[in-house]
Amino acid sequence: MPMGHTATEQAGSGGLTATEHRLANGLRVVLSEDHLTPVAAVCLWYDVGSRHEVKGRTGLAHLFEHLMFQGSAQVKGNGHFELVQGAGGSLNGTTSFERTNYFETMPAHELELALWLEADRMGSLLVALDDESLENQRDVVKNERRQRYDNVPYGTAFEKLTAMSYPEGHPYHHTPIGSMADLDAASLEDARAFFRTYYAPNNAVLSIVGDIDPEQTLAWVEKYFGSIPSHDGKQPPRDGGLPDTIGDQIRTVVAEDVPSRALMAAYRLPHDGTREADAADLALTILGGGESSRLYNRLVRRDRSAVAAGFGLLRLAGAPSLGWLDVKASGGVEVPAIEAAVDEELARFAEEGPTPEEMERAQAQLEREWLDRLATVSGRADELCRFAVLFGDPQLALTAVQRVLAISPLEVQTIAKARLRPDNRAVLVYEPTAQTDAAGTEEEEAAK
Amino acid sequence: MTDATTPADAPVSTMEFHPQPRGGAPKPWAFPAPERSRLANGLTLLTSHRPGQQVVAVEVNLVAPLETEPEGLDGVATIMARALSEGTDKHTAEEFAAELERCGATLDAHADHPGVRVSLEVPASRLPRALGLLADALRAPAFPDSEIERLVGNRLDEIPHELANPARRAAMALSKELFPATSRMSRPRQGTEETVARIDAAAVRAFYDAHVRPATGTAVIVGDFTGVDLDAALADTLGAWTGSTAEPPKPTAVVADDAGRVVIVDRPGAVQTQLLIGRVGADRHDQVWPAQVLGTYCLGGTLTSRLDRVLREEKGYTYGVRAFGQVLRSSAPSSPEGATGAALLAISGSVDTASTGPALQDLWTVLRTLAAEGLTDAERDVAVQNLVGVAPLKYETAAAVAGTLADQVEQQLPDDYQAQLYARLAKTGTVEATAAVVSAFPVDRLVTVLVGDAAQIAEPVKALGIGEVTVVSG
Repeated sequence: MPMGHTATEQAGSGGLTATEHRLANGLRVVLSEDHLTPVAAVCLWYDVGSRHEVKGRTGLAHLFEHLMFQGSAQVKGNGHFELVQGAGGSLNGTTSFERTNYFETMPAHELELALWLEADRMGSLLVALDDESLENQRDVVKNERRQRYDNVPYGTAFEKLTAMSYPEGHPYHHTPIGSMADLDAASLEDARAFFRTYYAPNNAVLSIVGDIDPEQTLAWVEKYFGSIPSHDGKQPPRDGGLPDTIGDQIRTVVAEDVPSRALMAAYRLPHDGTREADAADLALTILGGGESSRLYNRLVRRDRSAVAAGFGLLRLAGAPSLGWLDVKASGGVEVPAIEAAVDEELARFAEEGPTPEEMERAQAQLEREWLDRLATVSGRADELCRFAVLFGDPQLALTAVQRVLAISPLEVQTIAKARLRPDNRAVLVYEPTAQTDAAGTEEEEAAK
Repeated sequence: MTDATTPADAPVSTMEFHPQPRGGAPKPWAFPAPERSRLANGLTLLTSHRPGQQVVAVEVNLVAPLETEPEGLDGVATIMARALSEGTDKHTAEEFAAELERCGATLDAHADHPGVRVSLEVPASRLPRALGLLADALRAPAFPDSEIERLVGNRLDEIPHELANPARRAAMALSKELFPATSRMSRPRQGTEETVARIDAAAVRAFYDAHVRPATGTAVIVGDFTGVDLDAALADTLGAWTGSTAEPPKPTAVVADDAGRVVIVDRPGAVQTQLLIGRVGADRHDQVWPAQVLGTYCLGGTLTSRLDRVLREEKGYTYGVRAFGQVLRSSAPSSPEGATGAALLAISGSVDTASTGPALQDLWTVLRTLAAEGLTDAERDVAVQNLVGVAPLKYETAAAVAGTLADQVEQQLPDDYQAQLYARLAKTGTVEATAAVVSAFPVDRLVTVLVGDAAQIAEPVKALGIGEVTVVSG
């Protein structure tokens, strides 16, 4: 097994290091030692997400992710969950546009179990996959969709804005949850074909972070994963490239039973992994991150026209990223008043650029967010996989914060001027259908 | 498990299989023991140095329970908590927010039944500066009229959003059902439109004067203190906070009516029914707590627990149903008023509308079977291994450790409570865990709240015989 980078610390990595390895079957492995707490995180990213799905089968990548917990050759039924939890570990899997990840955080002495479990399903899932688990998990996922999207106010806003932002036929036009009709249509053969196409060691990155012995860990990885055959059935995803700007405002007004008017928008922004994406992150933080941002000060503090106002960045590597505006109106305030204020603030920012104080604050906020992500072994493992899968180099995870701190005010202003414009966004306006009355004017913390 | 016949085209895996590995020897880990001290102004300090945790967590407990809010002013504790960061004797509201963010810090404050909690997180390098801002907020909040008016307006705007959320609406309806109308616990923590609208700067100032002082407060500080002169930083910041001494308010005992019944909060057209099934039971001061934690985990702690094994993994009715115990308010048996606390014991989740009746039927069958047959030793063992084994993972971050230490303070528990809890869990047997969970969730003493489409769910639910069914408007 060829060894990759040696574990030398890079400037600005906060003392973290990572080494890279590759098995003969193509599985890339990233290791990072940290002996402060006796825990170890295992993270496995498969380079497949909803962007690989085809028309009529939206939601398949995510439904498949559920099937990965339904047993494999040596693991019966829910055994994956039972064994990890019984060993004092925690686990889950998630599906996004660009990848599917599976992760376990284990007490350090149970690391080998997690590797055995991940290898078993990577190599032998189809031995156990049957109609019964497909039918069951299809119902579970449909209930997940109802719970997280269909039965919540504004729950389908993300789906609507995504569909508006990426044209029909674009790989990012639909979101990972998929449609009810497509979930109903997915067959056992679809699931098998999906596994055969995308679940292979040469289409995955495995990271292991924490209180580990690197030599022993690599020996276990070789033992459990080394004999899984690679295959090259995978087609690259459809091209997600689009012009830098939309060129025209796309607008939808929906009348729904929601508690207040809302103005939401998605701006087309640079691909993740570029300096411009980091500059956009800073611009959105200054404009709409936290309670000292320009939009919060304008809409919530001064105009008192919004109950909440903020910007977020959905970073995407294979398609333009999205700058996410979300403003919930105060009672009685009309959307045009809010929209005019937003446009005025964005135009002013493009004209003036950030103040030195705003740059300092935004960089401090983004730095803390990075420290938070790197504070746990599982967070670190996930970031190492992210940079390995999407950008080919896990080491980039350890210097990401330095890159954000290196962005100049001019770069922030330039990106704002070029991209945060009315003709480069999809706008979704909510108008409530029913006047909510004051009959049950009570609230309570959601019980957890 | 089915042994399905292998289709002709089934893949034959060519990987080499190995037996399931056995774990190595566990490495020692213990929940951190904090250092306890007191500043000259009477503020209690709990500190814990956690190497590697670059983001320091600070939790401040203020003994300002919701039941001390003046009559008709529900929500004043919440507005006060939020107003702490809306301007001080040194900064306006906007300047204060900007200064905090310049530190890369976040500051949150919220009011709950036991009191007000203020939480700061900040990179260790900027801890002294952020502690200065936190101290200003506690010591000298400005409570300007215009900011209080804005916070009240903002809070009134939030209420419809909370009412629209099925999980929050269910929690609200359960509180109203469980507790007598005279109890603060029956009413929304953050007030109603009617009570919030009455709050002004004078009411906020009066609540602050009555309840916020260093002598009854506690600050918990956790993180990597390497290179930080913590003592000096504290003396310069929280040490400058002054206030009179005062006896903390005396809590009243929690009482609840858990006679089995059903309330449907009507949501015509809802595609799912939100369930919240609960009652009130033992808190952490009760000997039964570890057994109750263990039994509740076996009932509904995870997707391999009894409830999800049927409702999710067999029937597909839900994305997940959980059983839990959440302390509402607590006082030590040794305190002057004695043990007055209670925990909410509940089962929550959501099921598709058409499956509401069958899901509740299965849920009650799970409870009845549990009462009739008890837990198995294997279930108990896996639960202990999980609950004890995950501790080092759960407490990796400074924020997680600080949160638990602050909860202990708030519930008048000793500083080594969590550390001892793990030893007690390991010693709890199957019989005790069964007895605890069966008495925590008796089938005829559960109040069921359903937020969903009454036209579709009321009749099937009535047929179950789990209590009288009332429908209220959504």
